[in-house]
Amino acid sequence: MIEFDKFTLQNGLRVLVHHDSSTPIASVNLLYNVGSRDENPNRTGFAHLFEHLMFGGSVNIPSYDEPLERASGENNAFTSNDITNYYITLPKDNLETAFWLESDRMLSLDFSQRSLDVQKSVVVEEFNQRYLNQPYGDVWLMLRPLAYKVHPYQWPTIGKDPRHIIDSNLDEVKDFFFSHYAPNNAILCVSGNVTTYEVKTLAEKWFGPIPGRDVKTRSLPREPKQSEQRVLEVSRRVPFNSIYMAFHMCNRMHPDYSSTDLISDILSNGKSSRLFQSLVKDKELFSNIDAYITGDMDEGLFVVAGRLNNNVQFDAAQDAIFQELNGLKKAVENNEIDKVKNRFESTFTFGLTNALEKAMNLCYFELLGDASMVNQVVKEYRRVTAEDVMRVSKQIFSPENCSVLLYKAENL
Amino acid sequence: MLNRSIPPPTVLTDSIKVPHADLMYLPNGAKLLVVNEGEEDVCRVDLVFNAGSRYQQKNLQARAALTLLPEGTENHTSKQISEYFDFYGSFLNISVDKDFARITLSSLIKHLGSTLEMLSEVVKHPIYPERELQQWCKRGKQELMVELEKTSTLASQAFFRNVFGEQHPYGAFAIPDDYDNVQQQIIQDFHASFIGSNNLSIILSGKVGAAEIDLVVKHFGASKWGANPMEILNGIDKAKPGLSKTFVEKPNAVQTAIRIGRELFNRSHPDYPGMLVLNTILGGYFGSRLMRNIREEKGYTYGINSFIAPFRDSGLFMISTEVGSAYTEQTLKEIYFEVHRLTTEQVSNDELLLVKSYLIGEILRNFNGAFTIADSIISLLYYNELEYSYYDNLLNTIKTITPKKIAEIANKWFQSNVLIECIAGSVKPNKSEF
Repeated sequence: MIEFDKFTLQNGLRVLVHHDSSTPIASVNLLYNVGSRDENPNRTGFAHLFEHLMFGGSVNIPSYDEPLERASGENNAFTSNDITNYYITLPKDNLETAFWLESDRMLSLDFSQRSLDVQKSVVVEEFNQRYLNQPYGDVWLMLRPLAYKVHPYQWPTIGKDPRHIIDSNLDEVKDFFFSHYAPNNAILCVSGNVTTYEVKTLAEKWFGPIPGRDVKTRSLPREPKQSEQRVLEVSRRVPFNSIYMAFHMCNRMHPDYSSTDLISDILSNGKSSRLFQSLVKDKELFSNIDAYITGDMDEGLFVVAGRLNNNVQFDAAQDAIFQELNGLKKAVENNEIDKVKNRFESTFTFGLTNALEKAMNLCYFELLGDASMVNQVVKEYRRVTAEDVMRVSKQIFSPENCSVLLYKAENL
Repeated sequence: MLNRSIPPPTVLTDSIKVPHADLMYLPNGAKLLVVNEGEEDVCRVDLVFNAGSRYQQKNLQARAALTLLPEGTENHTSKQISEYFDFYGSFLNISVDKDFARITLSSLIKHLGSTLEMLSEVVKHPIYPERELQQWCKRGKQELMVELEKTSTLASQAFFRNVFGEQHPYGAFAIPDDYDNVQQQIIQDFHASFIGSNNLSIILSGKVGAAEIDLVVKHFGASKWGANPMEILNGIDKAKPGLSKTFVEKPNAVQTAIRIGRELFNRSHPDYPGMLVLNTILGGYFGSRLMRNIREEKGYTYGINSFIAPFRDSGLFMISTEVGSAYTEQTLKEIYFEVHRLTTEQVSNDELLLVKSYLIGEILRNFNGAFTIADSIISLLYYNELEYSYYDNLLNTIKTITPKKIAEIANKWFQSNVLIECIAGSVKPNKSEF
């Protein structure tokens, strides 16, 4: 149970406070309701590039990191399809430094050409390092556009193509900032040995004067129902064949979300899971195999990804996966459902032992609708029945709902 | 009117209360360290053995003996064991590094009795079934082959080999073919030689009290069990460094992986705290000189860092980055420029104060939450024989070290002719002699 207080500033900034007296460190999490799904299709990767620019100095403070380090603080950020999330940990006594820094960059960046030029280059190297210079690193560059024809989830947060990053200019940066970065489009959470009064005083002092901005209501195209199986085969210099199967699934707020998540756990969470036991250990078709959901706010993907053993053909691999998926439509033991529920509860509870993770969770659930949902999650997963698992499996696991990427090893 | 250009006042934490674990010696002689922290009903049990790869006679022997523990006992099959741990929502992690083997059980408090019972069985009575071993080898070989496709792995392995020598326990790596030669017998031998109460420290952390301690004692501390290794605490052979420059060709790589550094010392060495400060200035935090110069000014890379990695009986210093292939030479030039500058120019008081503030925050963060505290205690156990004075000493050095002292340490350890450089990528840099 995470207890928290919540208040909203006049400019629309929502603020959450979680008191935890066990730690000398305060965690400050600031979530902006903007992700790569909000990008112009010709400027993909922009939300993530923007995350880099947020460290390039703000209107009154030339350097973000240095004053924070002087306050014994540390920070980082991540961008997803849905959100951009910034976080700081620092000694509680220096909490005001975090408010000073975060509020100034919410007020305005300094929009320097130099910072833009350097960060373009850094992001291109990030693209190289994470997507091109790793075996199987480019999978999501291909799987997303295969699965999504309309919805902006068709590109990864790094972007479709480094050219989109290289070609961007300062006007676009400014426009993106004022369209998305605003107190009324953000959620702040402070977790640590702090009082709500302290946080309120600091929030009003530093964030209060920032005017609310005109943030357009998001209106994204809905991905049409897929009607036939899609298959893409590619060859790369990798040692082993791999297969990736992506099925469309429900959105984050859909009542079937927890069932779908637990299905992925039945299939591949832990060594006793079905895919590992059947396809890796018993049939020896794969050297590893994984099933997971992307966890997106809009309609996401249920992914099965496996690396084939040397003498195994793609057809046999795909059939074997389908056989396991179809198995879920027929029968699921209560014992098996209890097992994945127990694991979920345990994983979730372990997550709550970390003050920063608590702050991130609170912000995220507030974005979904209400921070207090964080305390209902386990209960919600506990409600899932064997019938739910079979029903949802029938809905999702059909060839017409599936995009398959066959990732072939060139020298095999 | 709020003046946003003036930073709020900050305080530099001047004393850190390093949490001590409660230490007890169990009836069988094993050490138990208890960290009672946290509000959630979860806990962790770490079993630490002096059973790292340095003690093995053949590559993969230690790793196989440890990671195959849960793959079968006289009473339970691999599948039954994983069903059991999974059903109770517990997680079993096993890691083996050069010096130590560590088995970590993460469990809900309410199921600790059950999960410990199975943990005790798999740790004490593994049978290493042949089929499980064969599958483990097959999968391990594939994973390693994928790993060896990465320039970062190629450069790092070359670096460790060149720093310590490829026969040295700290410089040796398994190759894919080693997976074809792992015999059941040698795994059993390793287990029989190193896994036992005489070679064990236990760290229990989380929301734990007398009941949880009793459970741990019952399963691991009541009577003597397992191996009784002799002379485990001997030192290690001197390093026999290899070539000072190595290039590993990886055709078509779009980035070059660079590793530069040298052998250093363990955490008990008098220069260790000062070296930690020095390393932080160079490449140990986001605002470091390498990061500022090579990422934030030039944009050659997504990241560049330097580390001091301790071993129990040695240590190393390593600069690590992946850069666009076209930037390799410029990056090398800037790396050596920054290293050299540390030996010739004293760091300003202002930069030093910044680094001190950052490092004090880092130490505080090392004690943020039960499991982070447990990890810090484990590293104290690993590298400092549990001497808490390590932290006092470290804090004291961070607070008092001078620019002059830092330059002295740089001159003592960072002369460019002792640095080893390993590079993996598609393009061999022209100006370096390989």
